[in-house]
Amino acid sequence: MRIAFTSAGTTWDSLIDPRFGRTEYIIVHDEGNQGLIVVDNSAVKNEAHGAGIVTARKIFELKPDVLITGNGPGENAANALRHIKMRIFTGAHNMTLRQAYTQYKSGKLKEI
Amino acid sequence: MPVRNMSEIVVLSGKGGTGKTSITSSLAVLAGNKAVIGDCDVDAANMYLLLEPDFGKTFEFYSGGLAVIDHDLCSRCGKCADVCRFNAISYINDQYRVNSLDCEGCAYCEKICPTHAIIMQERKSGCVYISETRIGSTMVHARLDIAAENSGKLVARVKNEARAIAARENKPYIIVDGSPGIGCPVISSLAGANYVILITEPSMSGLHDLRRIVTLIKKFRISAGCIVNKYDLNEEKTSEIKQFLQGEQMMHLADLPYDIHFTQMMIEGKTIVEFPSPLKYTLENIWEKVKKQLDIKDQ
Repeated sequence: MRIAFTSAGTTWDSLIDPRFGRTEYIIVHDEGNQGLIVVDNSAVKNEAHGAGIVTARKIFELKPDVLITGNGPGENAANALRHIKMRIFTGAHNMTLRQAYTQYKSGKLKEI
Repeated sequence: MPVRNMSEIVVLSGKGGTGKTSITSSLAVLAGNKAVIGDCDVDAANMYLLLEPDFGKTFEFYSGGLAVIDHDLCSRCGKCADVCRFNAISYINDQYRVNSLDCEGCAYCEKICPTHAIIMQERKSGCVYISETRIGSTMVHARLDIAAENSGKLVARVKNEARAIAARENKPYIIVDGSPGIGCPVISSLAGANYVILITEPSMSGLHDLRRIVTLIKKFRISAGCIVNKYDLNEEKTSEIKQFLQGEQMMHLADLPYDIHFTQMMIEGKTIVEFPSPLKYTLENIWEKVKKQLDIKDQ
């Protein structure tokens, strides 16, 4: 399984970025090889409008099975993301990636 | 399992003109220096009139693009003017020129220009300020240049600054004055919010826009409560709003009557909670209710 996070930093101890579209980083954890892929999303932050859709496209290219984020994508980004088979879990803001991953594993995050 | 104990309260209305900023400022006064204030209603930023920030630190803000034509490279083919759906390019004195007020920065002209004479330049759209207010709190706010518009990007900037200050100075609350509507700036203002206060008024459009904003908030699963302002101007509509709130299982925080003191205080540059009146007690009660809701959520 490939687990993607919206993250404010680049490590397991970074905080989840509550933003979807304007997240600082997208981090993908590959449960198979235990690797961590860090994608810098700072260019998207500079979009005046429609940041969610641009981030959705990036996530589309990363092909994760699961996305863990804060409040979740807005309407437009959510519509775009419906086209890939990916489960989305929200409510992880104020947690570190590690905490969010543990909460997800124990089924405590809400799926949208 | 929150790693920091900081609650962000966002005040929204859907419809403009419901009293959102007056009420947000009142809550800001009640919270005093326990809260960092963020004014994200940048199209009509008027919170500064009530809180008198000192504009202590200024940062220029760049957002969106502006088409710039290199007249040496331009072959005068006119394709740019043809495709511009904002009519921002006109032919004056043998040159194609961009009217910066009309250009929306879509970059269509840049894409189709056969001689690559057009580039998109980053456009300064306003300033972000970090201020001390007259009530001793820190406020992050912004002012837009002429013809510039609010954006999700600007809202994210204001909120991120406010969060950083609250974290650094150990402030328990962030109070954000959001934009009207349900678009990009509003969605951006909801990111990371712990509680939303909705301000509505008993009118057809008040209820219509309340429905839309409630749908949006539910999508983000953020808990919220609603204040019906000027409830006595149309009590029939007020009861319709209450029915709607009940159906949505949304907390009804309070009804505020229409009161001329609201306006009188505003003219003096003060908030309604700075002088004893029944309204002051209602607002204090609302602030206590909101804090209690945040405590319940934390447990």
